[in-house]
Amino acid sequence: MKRIIIPLVLFSFLVLEGVALELLPISLAKSDLVIVPHWVFVFLLFLAIFYDRENTYFSVLYGLLFGLLIDIVYTGVLGVYMFSYALVIYIIHGLTKMLHANFFVSLLLGMIGLILCEVIINAIYTVVGISDMIWKDYLIYRMAPTVIANILFLAALYPIMFKKLSSWRNEQLSTNTTF
Amino acid sequence: MPIFRKKRLFILLIGIIILVAMIGFSLRDRDNLSTPEQFLKDTVGWAQNIIHTPVNYVTTIFTNIDDIKNTYNENQLLREKLAQYKSLVYEVQEIKEDNDELRETLKKTKSIQDYNPIQATVMSRSPEQWIEQVTINKGIQDGVKENMAVITAEGMVGKIQTVSQFTSTVKLLSGFDQFNRISATISQEESNDIFGLIEEYDDESNNLLFKIIEESNKDIEKGELVVSSGMGGVFPAGLPIGTVKEVKPDQYGLTRTALIEPAADMYEINNVIVVDRALAEDKTSKDTEEDNE
Repeated sequence: MKRIIIPLVLFSFLVLEGVALELLPISLAKSDLVIVPHWVFVFLLFLAIFYDRENTYFSVLYGLLFGLLIDIVYTGVLGVYMFSYALVIYIIHGLTKMLHANFFVSLLLGMIGLILCEVIINAIYTVVGISDMIWKDYLIYRMAPTVIANILFLAALYPIMFKKLSSWRNEQLSTNTTF
Repeated sequence: MPIFRKKRLFILLIGIIILVAMIGFSLRDRDNLSTPEQFLKDTVGWAQNIIHTPVNYVTTIFTNIDDIKNTYNENQLLREKLAQYKSLVYEVQEIKEDNDELRETLKKTKSIQDYNPIQATVMSRSPEQWIEQVTINKGIQDGVKENMAVITAEGMVGKIQTVSQFTSTVKLLSGFDQFNRISATISQEESNDIFGLIEEYDDESNNLLFKIIEESNKDIEKGELVVSSGMGGVFPAGLPIGTVKEVKPDQYGLTRTALIEPAADMYEINNVIVVDRALAEDKTSKDTEEDNE
């Protein structure tokens, strides 16, 4: 069951990202601040922290898959989200071994992950020539609002995800299924 | 574990190579999307179609509340305009009939102003705000082709960037760069029209840059309407693009550039019309000014 639910949740987040800007108040959308929803990434973070065991890499796989989907559907420049999501989730996956998972650790990991992810995406887009923002402006107008907005989203999702995903991990332990 | 470390590094390097290859693949000039891309876009588009309706319903409730606040003032203004409108309608009808008759005698029934409208609804907007694109619910099956102009009731909003079978992607005016030029014109009474190219969108001032190629002896005034000229061969003539905000000389002082404020709102786009130019592209005049190079 969970094997269907997880991709479905990811897919619905992917679809919802497309209408995310409509949900923002217009004054915020029209201002200089750029808020990019990384909802798929936030869910992948939960997967990496609560669902994956030390030697399973479901979150990284899903990162590759849904990163590519975002590239195809929303940007047209293939590989950017795919690469950055998978790489950052892999790093977070490694970090979870060192830290005991709780609310604050998730927030911290989320913050690190989002910042890393944003930096990689921006770096690639700068090289490709899509963005030409100077880094100082980028930090103020895009990085800060994006990270704050997505951290809020992560905090709001935490109570639901924490229990569900942990119990699924335990199922995974007991039945020892392979992907 | 040195072997394990090396393996990791190896995978990372392969990842970077794949990334570069994929970016290279997607950024080169492609005529069409690959079939898997089309399929995925249509699948996600189908899901977006379902989700878009309730979301739109909720957001319109909020905008409606805002609208009600302004209703009284708007009503007053509109009444005044309506009075002028009535006489205009009569005048336009006369001119249209006249025009048709004259065209009949000239045996030129199609003009570059004519177009077939394709109604479409915006389903989603790219969350990556640097890439200014929206997805609409009409594709190849409905007759949408690449590079068609997309307009709303207010004016032009962009052009079709990529098409798949049932959905297509619109590049908004606010994302236009040097590779998406529009040949445009400012029509002036009592003197020559001004021709030029809309070169790109200026992110800092949020205006389109209109490079004037052919000046007229009368100066441009603030607030004059800029419309597409139809000379590029892709867009029909007469689509309103925006109004002049400011005119300034370029850095060498040889030509002048006008800042154009787009007529359409780039943020609240719900229903759009894809413009299918009725007159086929004239192959002989395709050399100089092109909408899309």
